[in-house]
Amino acid sequence: MTPQTLDAASRGEQPYLWRFTPLQRTLHALVIVSFLGLVITGLPLRFAYAPWARVLVRALGGLAAAGVIHRLCAIITFGYFTAHVGSLIYRVARGTSWKRILWGPDSMVPQGKDVRDLIGMFKWFLGRGPRPRFERYSYMEKFDYLAVFWGVAIIGFSGLLLWFPEFFSRFLPGWVFNVATIIHGDEALLAMSFIFTIHFFNVHLRPEKFPIDLVIFTGRATTDYLKDEHPLEYERRREAGALAGLAAPPVSRLAYVWSVALGFASLGLGIFVIVLVLWAVLH
Amino acid sequence: MSSRTFSRLFGLLVASLPLAWGTAYGQASQVVQCEKCHGNRDFITGRSGGPQDTSLYVPAAILQDTRHSGLRCADCHRGYEAGYPHRVATKVVPCQTCHEREGRDWEASIHAANAAAQGDAPSCVRCHGSHVVYGTGDRRSPTHPLNVAALCGNCHADPRIIGTYFATPGKAQARTAVAQYFKTVHGNALTRDGLVVSATCNDCHGAHKVLPADSAESTVNRRNIPATCGACHVGVAEVYERSAHGLAYRTGRKNNEGHEAPVCVDCHTAHGIVRADQPQWLLGVVAECGSCHKHLYETYFETYHGKVTRLGFTLAAMCSDCHTAHDMRPASDARSSVFPANRVATCARCHPAANENFARYRPHGDPRDRARYPVLFWTWLFMTLLLAGVMLFFGTHTLLWLTRIVIDRVRGAAAQPPGTGP
Repeated sequence: MTPQTLDAASRGEQPYLWRFTPLQRTLHALVIVSFLGLVITGLPLRFAYAPWARVLVRALGGLAAAGVIHRLCAIITFGYFTAHVGSLIYRVARGTSWKRILWGPDSMVPQGKDVRDLIGMFKWFLGRGPRPRFERYSYMEKFDYLAVFWGVAIIGFSGLLLWFPEFFSRFLPGWVFNVATIIHGDEALLAMSFIFTIHFFNVHLRPEKFPIDLVIFTGRATTDYLKDEHPLEYERRREAGALAGLAAPPVSRLAYVWSVALGFASLGLGIFVIVLVLWAVLH
Repeated sequence: MSSRTFSRLFGLLVASLPLAWGTAYGQASQVVQCEKCHGNRDFITGRSGGPQDTSLYVPAAILQDTRHSGLRCADCHRGYEAGYPHRVATKVVPCQTCHEREGRDWEASIHAANAAAQGDAPSCVRCHGSHVVYGTGDRRSPTHPLNVAALCGNCHADPRIIGTYFATPGKAQARTAVAQYFKTVHGNALTRDGLVVSATCNDCHGAHKVLPADSAESTVNRRNIPATCGACHVGVAEVYERSAHGLAYRTGRKNNEGHEAPVCVDCHTAHGIVRADQPQWLLGVVAECGSCHKHLYETYFETYHGKVTRLGFTLAAMCSDCHTAHDMRPASDARSSVFPANRVATCARCHPAANENFARYRPHGDPRDRARYPVLFWTWLFMTLLLAGVMLFFGTHTLLWLTRIVIDRVRGAAAQPPGTGP
């Protein structure tokens, strides 16, 4: 039994191949921590009428404390958003063309193939075709990424409006705060509903991945994993002779334990939030 | 000393002058006569030695230092001075012989009616004592403000009295009135802070003409509540009279939900009154407002202000922060705190930098109300459809995917001979 027995990205044939850079892994960890912080402190306000709302907000140290945590996590969010955009600009400055970032095989931008893959997946679900083979990012990962991009922009801006209403009312009418309240709460509800069910299933909980996929924490996955999940990327790199350059050492025991801890804590907290939301909605 | 108390004392003094003058000589000899028997500690009436025997020990000194210190025994026990054995039908001169107004008031009270019918309601001596009668300003008197609640509580906290008179649901409030009173701001002011100006039972219910709230003449009848509370809370009563509530109270007008105007006790309760700066009160009164203003109550909770309040925190605006506590008026009234021209000042109470734009916030904005709040409605509809659409699409995606995996695994297992599995 290998020490990485829980990790879906450690399946089968080694060696490990590098998949995510330290910056990407750090930013994703910040996304997790800040998003969970925002959700857990914002939830009592969004569902103030729920029977658990008062208990939760008191457990967080009261409304004022929850507000401080929420704003701290907002600052982290703006931080990782800026860092990510900055890293894209840095890549361009270092000679990578915009064209490659937007339309290359590693692109996050939806393309014709993504639409075909989506249709292909539904065909496969219904037993009418083979399972589509993905490049580095499937349409699901692109959707996750763009949803965060859009979500941070929308929730972030509406949140700033609500954070500094006196400032923004210098040039915006007061009813935009009513609009911002609706957008902020409902977009956040969409984000948590999506991430804590769909993203969790796609990435961690479907039988091939269960119970967890640590690639975003450890940054590396086995060759077999890459062949299963992103066969086109695997073939492209093999043909380019780039596989040897991607070879990574197995993850250390310490990094593995930390990844498992953060991963399961986040999964657990997310599912707990879904229970609270369902409780509030059905109550 | 208040002018009322003074005029009472003065009237009593004048009334008792003829008595004092006319009997100055006779008094000494008469007292000596009564003292012969009634100054004896062992003077017991009756002969059985049973429990009905009553001590008749009433030394002359008993009236010393009381409000009745100038009186002779025979002033009340008229005819007894004629000699022994006493041959009189009337035992005691009624108190209202001197205390006319108090007597009349008591005669009109529920106490008098029940005293006649049941015999267990208080007459004069039950509250004031028989021989040892002090003025209400005397700390030793059971009717001193600091003692009144305990005095009334003798009966009104007694389960037997409660069971007899307050058993019906309509009287539920009276069952816990005494116990509750001691926890209220009025009761605390008296018992904890020793403030004799705080309201005690008789300040609201009257001392002698005590009547149930459903009696039109009662000081605690709905129609009379503003005047009763206003007797002490003069400044609040003035403001209330000018407010939309006060106006509706006078004219009998009902609000658009069919509720009649609130009087003091509707928001403050009768016996559960707490300090208006306590979180318990601040949060509770929102529901009181909401009991008549249902739609505004519901829409308030759509906003940040309302959500914070619902979580049990007083950090955000509650009804009275914008509408004032007693001076609330419709937004069409130029003197209203929510009249368009006054809104910036109202917002600025909490948001110092508020401006015209800021005051265009809709504190009761209702996304379900398409006619009044079209922007909120369409925003809400878009967000709801987006949420429903995304979750429905990807929910289907996930469920189909899971189904496909399960089908493939079942088929794979069936195709494989037993014992050769992975």
